[in-house]
Amino acid sequence: MNTKKKITAIAAAAPQQVAAHDAGDISLHASRLSLALEGKNILRDISFSLPAQGINVLIGPSGAGKSTLLRCLNMLHTQWQGDLQIMGRDVRKWPDSEDGLRRTIGLIAQKPTLFPCSIQQNIVFGLSRKDRNHMPENRIKKVLKQAALWDEVKNRLHDQAATLSVGQQQRLCIARALMLSPNMLLLDEPTASLDPRSRQFIEASLLELSENMPVLCVTHDIEQAKRLGGKIIFMCDGRLIESGDSKLFFKHPNRIESREFLRWSVCDCS
Amino acid sequence: MNERCAKTLTIMLALPALLLPAACLLYILFKGIPALDWAMLSGSSQDAAFGSISALWPQITGSLLLMLGACLLAAPVALGGTLFYALAANIRQRKALLGIMHLLVGIPPIVYGLCGLIVLVHMLHWGISLLTGMVILAVIILPMLLMNSVNAIKRIPSEKTAAARALGLSNGQLIRRVWLPAAWPALMTGLLLGMARALSETAPILFTATVFSGVSWPDSLFSPVTSLQTHLFYLAQEGANAEAVDIAWASAVILIILVTALSFGASALRNIRMNG
Repeated sequence: MNTKKKITAIAAAAPQQVAAHDAGDISLHASRLSLALEGKNILRDISFSLPAQGINVLIGPSGAGKSTLLRCLNMLHTQWQGDLQIMGRDVRKWPDSEDGLRRTIGLIAQKPTLFPCSIQQNIVFGLSRKDRNHMPENRIKKVLKQAALWDEVKNRLHDQAATLSVGQQQRLCIARALMLSPNMLLLDEPTASLDPRSRQFIEASLLELSENMPVLCVTHDIEQAKRLGGKIIFMCDGRLIESGDSKLFFKHPNRIESREFLRWSVCDCS
Repeated sequence: MNERCAKTLTIMLALPALLLPAACLLYILFKGIPALDWAMLSGSSQDAAFGSISALWPQITGSLLLMLGACLLAAPVALGGTLFYALAANIRQRKALLGIMHLLVGIPPIVYGLCGLIVLVHMLHWGISLLTGMVILAVIILPMLLMNSVNAIKRIPSEKTAAARALGLSNGQLIRRVWLPAAWPALMTGLLLGMARALSETAPILFTATVFSGVSWPDSLFSPVTSLQTHLFYLAQEGANAEAVDIAWASAVILIILVTALSFGASALRNIRMNG
């Protein structure tokens, strides 16, 4: 199946998946999450849950606090107030500290950031020295396939990672996060600076991954949010305005802010 | 026309900045190189008459020992301070740390020498010794090393640190696997410049570490040493003794060669950093 068809097929199935999982296990539950940085309220009383599988799209205009929320979820920001539970555990009391929590939650940034070493070394960068030295090739192959990058790099795993195109670098970042076998994947506008073809690859890869784990993808691109489907969480000015099934949200947004955003790609919440 | 005038004016203003140090350097080389010979470098000054008929090997060794000791003492403290700044300090602590370092950089070295004389030599009874000189030089170069290493860490793109953190790397792994590989040329450049600074300081060790003659090799850390800088200082005052003045010029040449070698090393590392 070609990539475009695959996206369409999986996207069509996604809302049902989300609906089915709404009643199932909750992988992440945030309650009244607030964050103030340098005296400014960045996040205000955010509450939401993510089901155990499926794609979730966090949309909102620039400056809404979407990226900050992701950084709170994997404890890159720790000064937040409220309650955050992942897999039923309070993240403040995570057994093997914040570092262990971050290995459980893969976070992919907007700009692909690679380390100055080979493609293979980048993939295993997050592992312990012992695991890096004894990592079976088929595990590397598996994560590269999951990130839709295997075919392009299978013969050049020992080349410098910087020789890859930006789109390939972003997929390498996804593979690197998957190498740690995370329980969920957070992505901060992963396709913002990519060409349409790379965007297709990544969207297809995310939809496939979301069949086995919750994926939360930040975007301010309404069309991309429509393509990905699943559950929509709409934020503006640090507040969660509306959340729910993607199809319903785009067809019948409940809040005036949502309607304004869908129409103009901006909203005037503040 | 105006552009040509501006260019000429700029060159006229820049020329003294280039020519004056170059003239000084050439004059020192002109006077010092003829005075240099192998016997001067390799012999002993044990029986030298007030240091004038002297070998410079003990002075070179003394200077290098003081420099290396100062760096060995200052570098770990600077690295520790940098890691505190980057990993543990809040904004107020960061401002305070850098503020103190800026203040310390501005204090004249002779004041450190005086403090060393009062506190280390007299109060702690360390005497005029190699260790006292090392500690005082370490205190002098510490602010420079710390500010350099803080800047080296700051120059690492924050995305790189965030990516490593997102992969669950601990502080130790972050330092070892991301920060040090990215910052080592800058850290080494700072260290070499710190070594050059330690090698060129005279006033503080004049009070705390060095004697003019009678010492060829320190017996322990609590023994005094001789050094090129202070040797030059003493000999230069012997204006009536032509031989002493010649040795002073030779000492100056050796000192310049050592400092220049360190500066070139730092420059080479800076190039690695820029190309890397």
